[in-house]
Amino acid sequence: MAYDKPLPRPTPLSQPFWDGAREHKLLLQRCQSCGAYRFTPQALCRECYAEEYEWAETSGRGKVYSYTIVYRPQTLTFMDDVPYVLAVIELAEGPHMLSNVVGCAPSDVHIDMPVVVQFEDATDEITLYKFRPAE
Amino acid sequence: MAKRRDVAIVGVYATKQERFSQRSALSLTMEAIHGALDDAGLTMKDVDGYLGFTFPAGSGMGVTDGNVAYQLNNPFGLVDRYSGAMALLQAAAAIREGLVETVIIAAAGSRATADGRTVAWTRPEYEFTEWTGSMTPAQFALQMRRHMHEHGTTVEQMAYGCATVRNNGHKNPDAIMFQRGPYTVEDVLSARMVADPLTLLMCSIVNDGGNCMVVTSGERARACKRPPVWVLSGAMESRYTAYFEAPSLEMLKGREKMMKAFGRAGVRHEDVDIVMIYDHFASGLIMSFEGLGFCEIGEGGPFIVENIGLDDKHPVCPDGGNLSFSHPGNPYNFKAIEIVRQFRGDVNDLCPQSAEGVHTYDRSICRKVRDPKLAACCGPMTGRHSFAILAKD
Repeated sequence: MAYDKPLPRPTPLSQPFWDGAREHKLLLQRCQSCGAYRFTPQALCRECYAEEYEWAETSGRGKVYSYTIVYRPQTLTFMDDVPYVLAVIELAEGPHMLSNVVGCAPSDVHIDMPVVVQFEDATDEITLYKFRPAE
Repeated sequence: MAKRRDVAIVGVYATKQERFSQRSALSLTMEAIHGALDDAGLTMKDVDGYLGFTFPAGSGMGVTDGNVAYQLNNPFGLVDRYSGAMALLQAAAAIREGLVETVIIAAAGSRATADGRTVAWTRPEYEFTEWTGSMTPAQFALQMRRHMHEHGTTVEQMAYGCATVRNNGHKNPDAIMFQRGPYTVEDVLSARMVADPLTLLMCSIVNDGGNCMVVTSGERARACKRPPVWVLSGAMESRYTAYFEAPSLEMLKGREKMMKAFGRAGVRHEDVDIVMIYDHFASGLIMSFEGLGFCEIGEGGPFIVENIGLDDKHPVCPDGGNLSFSHPGNPYNFKAIEIVRQFRGDVNDLCPQSAEGVHTYDRSICRKVRDPKLAACCGPMTGRHSFAILAKD
């Protein structure tokens, strides 16, 4: 069945991130001046304002900063997913990332739980990044 | 408390708040503007500043200061798009500087028909949030969950706050949720779960409605129909865009800046008789008290249980707040409007002579706060934090 939930619409700034996801790589902008990572994508480094950056591959690992079990679907296309886990993941590289935790019962999710990225190919163009419990 | 009585709210108006008004936001906005100007005894020709509702631009250039002035056929010395506490502070600063003398602050919301989707403003079409199934209740559930983890805040404390505010709205004939109560803590906890730990009764309602207030100089305020409500001071701080960046407790880092506003106003926290919290969710009730410095960070849960009832030290949202009175998407002005009404004694409730301003203080029917003189009018703690300190004449 065709993917019918909302899909991200990349911008010129974020396109490399989504290109990386399609190759099952979790990329973050890293400042070429001071080395700071940032997410969400921004034109300038948030630490030193340098314009130059690279898209650096991350470990894909992190831990749960916070989570919620969602019972009321955002829109009807999420009806089959409830209850689903929305979580803020604190990546090993530092930045926080909103995503879903999958691959375990929602009631097993807890703060500080180690997680690792799991990619889901939604369409030919878009691969989503979710997180599952790390081994 | 004698200082800074040089800018005042002199007119307020709220349209009828309804689930489905069948009216446009533009229509609601204009009713509110005319109503607030009438309340002040002023006309549009007295106005030289405009904040709030973003008029659709005829020029195709988006909403610009020039377009708003052209549409209203009135030259303005200040145009921006915020309402509520943030707009009050902006207007007050511009009036004190002499850029303008009289500012209207107007807002309204009218939603599309219900079709199983959460309202649009809760789920922006952003590439790093929408696909996750994120929506506002889930965003604030994430914030609340982290607060529980770091500080031991309990769901019972959250439910107490929501029941208290909703029970005020229960007694407010103008509230969307009028006579939908009273609620116990247990009622709030056993309501349908929306996004754990937030139950349905810990989340704002959604409806249509408009609101407006008029702010002017101290000199002109004295000539208006009703007693002025003074804008003493306040503070605002922007850190990130809500619903775009991942929720965190970062907003609480603005606490020192918020606390300094009390010094500028020449008042103390303990003197605040009404706190109009931005009660979008249970999280707002708890964290705003921490963020404003009424208590230490992490102590908001126990604090509200002791302090926010109508006869307690700091009554919260006697109108019923966003939880029960109204949330048309931009309820920011209501926080100041309720303060003005409480100061004036224009409080509609179930007391037999409430229309004549006579209140019983029987809490089964009365939502009037006893003799309030000082109040805090809060904006949301959603990446852009603001509040204003208002005083009775």
